[in-house]
Amino acid sequence: MATRHYESVVVINAALEDPQVEGIISAIHQSIKTNGGEISDIENWGRRRLAYAIDNAKSGYYLITRFEGAPSMITEFERFLKLDENVIRYITIVLDSKALESIKNAANKKVEEAAEEGTEVQEKSDKEKSND
Amino acid sequence: MKNKKARRVIDDYIDYKDSKKLQKFISDQGKIIPRRITGLSAKQHRELVRAIKRARQVAILPFVSEAVK
Repeated sequence: MATRHYESVVVINAALEDPQVEGIISAIHQSIKTNGGEISDIENWGRRRLAYAIDNAKSGYYLITRFEGAPSMITEFERFLKLDENVIRYITIVLDSKALESIKNAANKKVEEAAEEGTEVQEKSDKEKSND
Repeated sequence: MKNKKARRVIDDYIDYKDSKKLQKFISDQGKIIPRRITGLSAKQHRELVRAIKRARQVAILPFVSEAVK
């Protein structure tokens, strides 16, 4: 069965308490899994100002999930999101090869930066040691 | 003289989640700036329009800017 790469942005009601939000997030991930999707990457933006008010709410909790699955699972997954009252907006897009490449590059950059920072920190701590 | 400053801002994939980058291509009112001003290629402009419209759906970008309302 052919699978595709997808990316979902889900905006959750930010008025909820953190444990409730976490519950919804795990429910969303569970829904992807039970519908036969495989989650590859999760990005959590947290609470963010909305560009326009939705039901008088000024901010929302942004959750970005990238996953792989069959096209037929998307209808089920979006139905699940639609039924959840605390999900105020969602969008699912297909990631084409161009998008996947840029995501890969961004991930690589992050790793490199983290590695550089790590070495710097180490050097610093070495210097501190030598000062002692 | 035509202003073509935004020409080389985009080199590859236009991410609809990158509000900072997309903001350069919308006017104060929140409208998409025409291609004759940004100097984008037709293909790039199509991709940009798609990204902006997606961003509007999930409230990353405004349909109408706050100042105009």
